[in-house]
Amino acid sequence: MPVAVKKSIPHFFMIIYVVIILVPFLFVLFSSLKANNTEIALHPFGLPKTWVFENYKEAWVKARISVYFFNSLYLAASAAIVGVLMAAATAFAMARMKLTRISKWIYQLVLVGMLIPGNVLFIAQYFLVRDLHILDTHWALFLPYTAGALPFSVLLLVAFMHNIPHELEEAATIDGMGAIRMFWKIILPLTIPALVTVFIVNFLGNWNEYLLANFFISRDALRTLPTGMVGFRDAFQTNYALVCTGIVFSVLPVLLLYSFLQRQIIEGLTAGSVKG
Amino acid sequence: MKKKLTSVLAASVAMSAVLAGCGGNNDNNNGAASPSASESASPSASASASASASPSASASEPAKVENFTVSLRHIQIGEPQKFRKAILDDVVKKTESEVPGLKFELDGVEDSVNRFTKLPAEMAAGNPPKVFSLFGGAGDAQKYAKAGRLLDLTPILDELGIKDKFLNVLDSFSVDGKVYGLPIGGNTEGIFYNTELFSKYNLNPPTTWDDLVKAADTLAQNKITPFAVGSKGAWVPNMLVNTLIGRVAGEAAIPGFKSGEAKWNSPDAVAAYQLYADWEKKGYFTKGELGKEYGDMLNDFVAGKAGMMFDGSWRNSAFKNDAVGAAIAGKVAYVALPAVPNGKGDQTAVNANYGEGYGFSADLNDNELAAVKAFIKNMYSDEMQLRGLLEDGVLPSMQLSDASIAQVTDPLLKQVLDVLKSAGKTFPHFDSVVQSKVYTETETQLQKLIAGKATPQQVGDAIQKVQDAENAAAK
Amino acid sequence: MKTTLKNPYVYMLFVAPTVAMYFLFFIYPTITSFVFGFTDWDGLNARQFIGLDNFVNAFKDAEFRSSIWNNLIILLFSCCIQVPLIIVFSLLISNVKRFQGFYKTTVFMPSILSTSIIGILWGYIYDPDVGLLNNFLNLFGIDPIYWLAEPKWAMFSILLTNAWQWMGFYIVLILAAILGIPKDIDEAAMIDGATGVQRAWYLTVPLIRPIINVVIMLSIAGALRVVDIVLVMTGGGPAGSTEVMASYMVNKAIKYGDYGYGSALSIIIFVIALILTALYQLLIARRQERIEY
Repeated sequence: MPVAVKKSIPHFFMIIYVVIILVPFLFVLFSSLKANNTEIALHPFGLPKTWVFENYKEAWVKARISVYFFNSLYLAASAAIVGVLMAAATAFAMARMKLTRISKWIYQLVLVGMLIPGNVLFIAQYFLVRDLHILDTHWALFLPYTAGALPFSVLLLVAFMHNIPHELEEAATIDGMGAIRMFWKIILPLTIPALVTVFIVNFLGNWNEYLLANFFISRDALRTLPTGMVGFRDAFQTNYALVCTGIVFSVLPVLLLYSFLQRQIIEGLTAGSVKG
Repeated sequence: MKKKLTSVLAASVAMSAVLAGCGGNNDNNNGAASPSASESASPSASASASASASPSASASEPAKVENFTVSLRHIQIGEPQKFRKAILDDVVKKTESEVPGLKFELDGVEDSVNRFTKLPAEMAAGNPPKVFSLFGGAGDAQKYAKAGRLLDLTPILDELGIKDKFLNVLDSFSVDGKVYGLPIGGNTEGIFYNTELFSKYNLNPPTTWDDLVKAADTLAQNKITPFAVGSKGAWVPNMLVNTLIGRVAGEAAIPGFKSGEAKWNSPDAVAAYQLYADWEKKGYFTKGELGKEYGDMLNDFVAGKAGMMFDGSWRNSAFKNDAVGAAIAGKVAYVALPAVPNGKGDQTAVNANYGEGYGFSADLNDNELAAVKAFIKNMYSDEMQLRGLLEDGVLPSMQLSDASIAQVTDPLLKQVLDVLKSAGKTFPHFDSVVQSKVYTETETQLQKLIAGKATPQQVGDAIQKVQDAENAAAK
Repeated sequence: MKTTLKNPYVYMLFVAPTVAMYFLFFIYPTITSFVFGFTDWDGLNARQFIGLDNFVNAFKDAEFRSSIWNNLIILLFSCCIQVPLIIVFSLLISNVKRFQGFYKTTVFMPSILSTSIIGILWGYIYDPDVGLLNNFLNLFGIDPIYWLAEPKWAMFSILLTNAWQWMGFYIVLILAAILGIPKDIDEAAMIDGATGVQRAWYLTVPLIRPIINVVIMLSIAGALRVVDIVLVMTGGGPAGSTEVMASYMVNKAIKYGDYGYGSALSIIIFVIALILTALYQLLIARRQERIEY
């Protein structure tokens, strides 16, 4: 076999794979610009005959995508940030402070949390947020999202902080630094790569969460993107072009973000999973 | 590095502040409701009727209007529902103008999502919207009323003096003589057929069983789906099952399931399911129906891919010139399911439902109660009932004068009214009769029947098992 | 140093919020799940203790058994079909120089999207009339297939979408490990005359064994977590053929109002997860070092 052919074999298979990944997106994009279902059905593959942009205006108004988008964004970000900070503080105490016996207990406890599959506590959490009187407010998602990320975040950060050399603290203590300042000034900055990982993992997890968001939130104005879009699909399901427009709206910002931050996102997510 | 961290921290603080603001807002609403409600003494008649017009307010702060919102869950979303949505919007606007400070927060949710997913979860958690779309019957209104979740409307109806204006349609919304919900209108279920296709293939209107079967066979031979159906939500094919049971087992069977006088696995009921399975086998229904939505069914029918569909009479407004089904406007006719050979009971009986309506949360403060009263007054009025009939083809749930009904000009709607007029008896849909677990079992089993995973006898046995358990639990 | 890092008050300050949240949202719901699981609670009326009835019923419940089976199918599909494909594709990408970054970025992309939006998107791909897939198959003269409407196809459709979403994630995971292997080992083998396939099978795969184990573990966990995609695409239908344990639990609780029974199911799911984790530890991860405290 000539070298050139041999070299192109992997490319051949990878191009098939890439096409399979990309074609659904193109299909949705083209469909969103087509006039109606008949045109989608008759010309599924081609570009629209006439480019119809009205769908975009209509979907934006009818689906309130901006509201859903903002809700998702700030819930996902705030829960991820608060979760990261809480986990970092806890990890610092467990990895760097000298109360090892209780740390071991907490570690085992958190490890159990890793074993509970996410959905199992759904019913109990539903009634928990009801009893806390936060059902149908964003707290009903913020708190479970923050809490749900803790086991993984703590375990990862503990492992990371363990590897920071102890000399740093010794020097710091000689300078008379307290534990809190040591955490802020020395350990936390050194942990930034792991913090970014944890943040990205948690952010995407929250951003995409559907089950809790679907049942813990009723009011339209509070809905997040995944549930808002499913509601939109249910309302306009036979208007394919319109729903495809909705999909474009909800996917596009994520893809844009991804194109800028892909290296960080990929490394963050994969590093996190390997270590976790 | 340090800078970065500080900004992250700042951002997080800001985030939680936003969040706190949001939660706080909510608290404000709730908080404001209880203690300061008496302050709001609004000038509107309906509000002051709530009796708490406090003297202090009228003395010192005359123009102070407290703003409040009332959540309203409706199911009028999507194109086919636009007429009903317009009526709702007008009622909302009128009510807001009458009650100072009131703002309705509308939340449109797809019908079956609301009925079978959202509302049950909210009822269990005790936080339903203040006003919401509600169905009558043992599985819906009566169940929630017994659990104390619904507002007792009896005093409001007395106060507004409209109780006697309702037709005899409040039973499925009542428990122990108290009314907990109000049907917005009524409907019957029957066959819509495409007259153009029927004349193209020289078919008689499906008014007799033989003509119906012949039409279905002819359409099927010509690669046209005889009956459009979207069975992803099993309530859709359940409409036909209900009427088949009413025809084959007699109209008395349907109320009899709950009382124990009729059984799902009796030979008659099984025969009805058998009929359905036979049609299924003959290819009378849309291919891939289990993946089709209710909206797809209308689309297929409008596109001429199907010659008939068994649907609720509410669909008649979809075939107006300015509606989703405009493509076949004027080419649609409506008949009742014809008499079944060897059927029991009155074969002219048709199904009649007054199931869909509004219910109200039991947990209301004075302001919200005033809003609810005004909403009821405006929604359940002669004007809106007539508009519902004329614009949306919904049968009135309240008495309308003959002169009003004579205003109906839409030929399709006239056919619906004629079908009802010539019906010897009416029978309900079992979804408003049987307990919710039984009803959901009928859906599960019907989908199995359609998928060919269960025989009619197995379907009947499985449903009866749940029915027995529920009947036993009720005693 | 000793005093600062031993200060129990500071320790409490750092640990307390996390532990409090953890108790509120993990420990407490676990306890209430157990409490609910032994009752006939319907969410509306007072709950009554009914002993083990729910658990007995669960094992008699044919629908629940079939949902366990569906989870198992997902698990087997991910471990036996997806994982080998993932390894092959990672090896393919690792062997190219040009476009490596592009391939990596593209195959990874679906895993950052919301599962529910992917569910909506694929719902259209599978649409029998306008959908992409049937239109494509039509080019080869294949009659429309009712992907999500026929029991025999529906589960397969879900599996395909799930694979579409997640395979890229695992490929990138394994790719990172392959690229981390020192180059000289591979070069030495090349000089010895080993072919590309031989080198991949005898050299690379054994060296990335630990990460493959991680991928298997994540696939098992993922198979138990599947629920969004089912709820969005089929709602468990047609006729229950795509129901998984979690979606069945949610439907039983929310739609039927069987909160007691649903809680019992959630306990069973938890136990199944524990058993699978234990099996994994015994059979696959036995030799592997674990992160020890």
